[in-house]
Amino acid sequence: MSGLLPDIRIVRPSDVAAAIAAREQHPQSRFIAGGTDLLVNMRHGLIAPQSLIDISRIDELTTIEMGAAGLRVGSGVTVAALARHPAIARDYRAISQAANAIAGPGHRAMGTVGGNLCLDTRCLFYNQSEWWRQANGFCLKRDGEICHVAPQGKRCHAAFTGDLAPAFLALGAEVEIAGKQGRRRIPLGDIYVEDGLAHLAIAEDDLIVAVHLPPTAAASAYAKVRLRGAVDYPLAGVAVALGVRGDSVASIRIALTGTNSRPFVLGGTDALIGRPLSERSLQQIEQLVQKQARPMRTTIASAHYRRLAAAASARRITAALYAEQSG
Amino acid sequence: MTAVTVSGKARGVPLIDGIDKVTGRARYTADLDHAGALIGRIFRSPVSHGEIVRLDVSKARALDGVVAVVTGADCPHTYGVLPVAMNEYPLARERVRYRGEPIAAVAAVDAETAARAIGLIECEVRELPAYYTSAQARAPDAVQLHANKPGNLEREVHHEFGDVKAGFAAADLVREAQISCAEVNHAQIEPHACLADYNPLTGRLTMQSVSQVGYYLHLMLARCLEMDTSRIRIIKPFIGGGFGARAEVLNFEIVTALLARAATGKVLTKLTREENFLTHRARPQTDIKLKLGMRGDGRLTACECEVVQRGGAYAGYGIVTILYAGALLQGLYDIPAVKYDGYRVYANLPPCGAMRGHGGVDSRHAFECLLDRMARELSLDPFAVRRANLLEAPTRTLNDLMVNSYGLGECLDRVERASRWRERIGTLPAGKGLGMACSHYVSGAAKPVHWTGEPHAAVNVRLDFDGGVTALTGAADIGQGSSTMVAIAVAETLGIALDQVRVIAGDSAITPKDNGAYSSRITFMVGNAAIDAARKLKSILTGEAARKLEARVEDIECIAETFRVGTGGQASLPFIDVVKAALADRGPITVSGTFTCPPEAQGGKHRGGAVGSTMGFSYAAQVVEVSIDDATSSVSVDKVWVALDCGHAINPLAVEGQIEGSVWMGLGQALSEETHYVNGLPAHASILEYRVPTMAESPPIKVEIVESHDPNGPFGAKEASEGALAGFPPALVNAVANALGIDLDELPVTPDRIHQALLERRRAKRLAAVQEALS
Repeated sequence: MSGLLPDIRIVRPSDVAAAIAAREQHPQSRFIAGGTDLLVNMRHGLIAPQSLIDISRIDELTTIEMGAAGLRVGSGVTVAALARHPAIARDYRAISQAANAIAGPGHRAMGTVGGNLCLDTRCLFYNQSEWWRQANGFCLKRDGEICHVAPQGKRCHAAFTGDLAPAFLALGAEVEIAGKQGRRRIPLGDIYVEDGLAHLAIAEDDLIVAVHLPPTAAASAYAKVRLRGAVDYPLAGVAVALGVRGDSVASIRIALTGTNSRPFVLGGTDALIGRPLSERSLQQIEQLVQKQARPMRTTIASAHYRRLAAAASARRITAALYAEQSG
Repeated sequence: MTAVTVSGKARGVPLIDGIDKVTGRARYTADLDHAGALIGRIFRSPVSHGEIVRLDVSKARALDGVVAVVTGADCPHTYGVLPVAMNEYPLARERVRYRGEPIAAVAAVDAETAARAIGLIECEVRELPAYYTSAQARAPDAVQLHANKPGNLEREVHHEFGDVKAGFAAADLVREAQISCAEVNHAQIEPHACLADYNPLTGRLTMQSVSQVGYYLHLMLARCLEMDTSRIRIIKPFIGGGFGARAEVLNFEIVTALLARAATGKVLTKLTREENFLTHRARPQTDIKLKLGMRGDGRLTACECEVVQRGGAYAGYGIVTILYAGALLQGLYDIPAVKYDGYRVYANLPPCGAMRGHGGVDSRHAFECLLDRMARELSLDPFAVRRANLLEAPTRTLNDLMVNSYGLGECLDRVERASRWRERIGTLPAGKGLGMACSHYVSGAAKPVHWTGEPHAAVNVRLDFDGGVTALTGAADIGQGSSTMVAIAVAETLGIALDQVRVIAGDSAITPKDNGAYSSRITFMVGNAAIDAARKLKSILTGEAARKLEARVEDIECIAETFRVGTGGQASLPFIDVVKAALADRGPITVSGTFTCPPEAQGGKHRGGAVGSTMGFSYAAQVVEVSIDDATSSVSVDKVWVALDCGHAINPLAVEGQIEGSVWMGLGQALSEETHYVNGLPAHASILEYRVPTMAESPPIKVEIVESHDPNGPFGAKEASEGALAGFPPALVNAVANALGIDLDELPVTPDRIHQALLERRRAKRLAAVQEALS
């Protein structure tokens, strides 16, 4: 309940290499850009870095480039800048819709693409004040032994709730990561693992520099399930990228957020390729979502509802994207 | 009371303190000059229920920078609302009854030190069984939270008016409903804060706080600190929303005063949002069993209602709330027989209290929902059913509530027309629906909580050499516009421009006592007192003008700051000249105006009959149009048409704002707001998890003001800030029923609840089909 920020050293490197070096030099440090997730968690006593490496002023991170090779979005680009980019809205609509669905205008102005991709997982037993968590005996994710969501289990079930990740995943994104060993590009999906306690599979001093998207012929959309039309994190979020040739599905990729400890691409949709999208296909999509989405009681809204609403949303936007592109 | 003509110029003015607020000049409690103030912080119970075995604050006290530490040992006095139900200590003594209950507090040189000191407090509690639902707390073997309250019942109410049995016997249709409404919170924007300054040399305490009830705060501080009331001064800074959150004295206010005295200095306490939710005092979780009898033509024959409120760990306003829930079943419609059974239950949760529409909202919700269901069964239009049961003013209800003005019929006509109900009902596309409901609310409780024999309201008006008129009122403007109302009442009565009147409100050293901003009492009571004071001043000035103009007093009129003789007369004097003449005679002038509710307004003779009694009710009708998303089951409100009878709109602009605010707050309770405790810990204790609607949910609201001209109201006015709230949730639920054919028994109408109801209907249909196939 203290709500106070501890004394923190702020370091402001001018380029990516200096940022990596600073992260190494200051052991109890974290990267910070918009701070919309990090500062709230610091006030709740969930994390207690001694130094913050402020990467918000590194030019390389704040550009959006679009060309024949596709799209490159710097990790420091604000959600608001992403949301209002006209070419992204045209060619990668799911990205634009997801960006517009994030929190409120103030958060979008401050929050960044990298921050949203690396958002901490959330749970109603975790995102509480220190007083609250202490009174509840803490939890597996922080300071405690058991997961209150599934006390019999051995893992943390906190849910990933970033809106951008599923949109990027559906469109086949790769992330460009800078680390001690230099730079590398890996599929975005590879940075996530199904563990609420440690859902990011990149080294602490790795810095996501940019997200790359290939050019695409697929149309895409993002649907967010939430109680309010603004502010809320997704109870479930679904992005779909669907390519259509003639009347047949040429490509389909569906990705989810909010339901599991990581955002993920729905498996088993390849079977829908090469034929028209039928009622049967839509039922299959609903079944796949219902099977693979594993919401737990990490939110006040029921887990059952989140799974069914995710499935219904996947069905709806897939059907809409198909209708839009076929005959 | 003679009618007062309100001229066009003062109608529909922006609030007189509005510009200060929107330009950032207004200073709220947290903005006050707290140079040199210590920071207060509260140590709260980590357990729901238990006996304090050991409390050791010595390490906290020894910490560098800590100036004072107080515990329950520093205050042996309880505080609360009703004199018969003050069962709460500002800091727990011996026993804690909810997670978050204050146990100790520190004042330190800065917030960091205060936080560290809190961490050094050692407290051992022997835990007792804890109860988080009314049913658990009422179980026969449940441990009592309070020794004198068996069954964990704060109050049982059993009222019966008219012949209920005969009423049901005379009905063509008798139906029951069981409806449950989640607990909600005010979620006012400004978090709680107060600044207490104790001067050890004079032994005087100055308290600046967010309170809606400065007078009660004054009394409780005197009681808990054993101080003479004359040594306490209460000042109300600008307030960022009340809604009942501060309609009773709050523990942190007394704790801060205790700290200031112990530290012999100034202490500022600012509560976090989580602490605001722990302080709570809002609308309780409520279970309602309602039975109505109706004739084929929609005429009600009888009403039987049981209400169970989960009131939290202490009494607070509890008795009042459970009485309101029954009393306000009446006063809206003509019902020949009413039986009410109310149970206010203690549970190990933050105490509930008053919240906009106090007590009446949840039982009105149940009533209006069941009314619609029965109308449907009888193939009657929802408007027709309400019209079949209108009251006729003047009248007294069965429970002896006074109704002198009644604009509900016109409210119904207005929203029916504006929404094009008749053309549209039954013709909307799939997933869309229209619903309606009515509601009402008191214009001030006619009998004050603390009986003193004094007038129910007093306003002083001052006049000095500068010619400016100053109205002094203890009434707390909490954003509802009461200071503007006082200014208009004085300006209109005197015949001077609005900006000639300055209002000074809420400083116990300067302004006359006022009971506070609750039960929508200020316009009716303080407004009448302001008019009374202004009339007294006017009579002095008119006398002076008559002397100077050598005319008869009764021929003098003051219009537009000019005193004239009769109609068409040439002789006139500017206002300021008359003021100067009056001052020359008698020096600076202060007059006092008062208002007292007559005994016949103060309710019936039955036990608890004072609650619900009022000088007049506001009346409202509203129509809500909804769309329901077939994939996510989420409800969006497309439009709201609302009409409210406020007697007379003294300031239509403010009235419109208050009606919109009521509708919007009803929308929150209907759609998304609810508290959610995990073993007594509030999982909802942030503005993120407690889901107040955002702009995205806010529908266009078409407001219609109906004026029934109450014979006793100031210029004919009644309340306008609460009456429209209670109608929204049932209108929404009725609209959902219209859209989906599903009757929802729970608030709020979240998508998961609708989804569940749809699943259950599908299941029931399947089951019915199977049974039919088998038979």
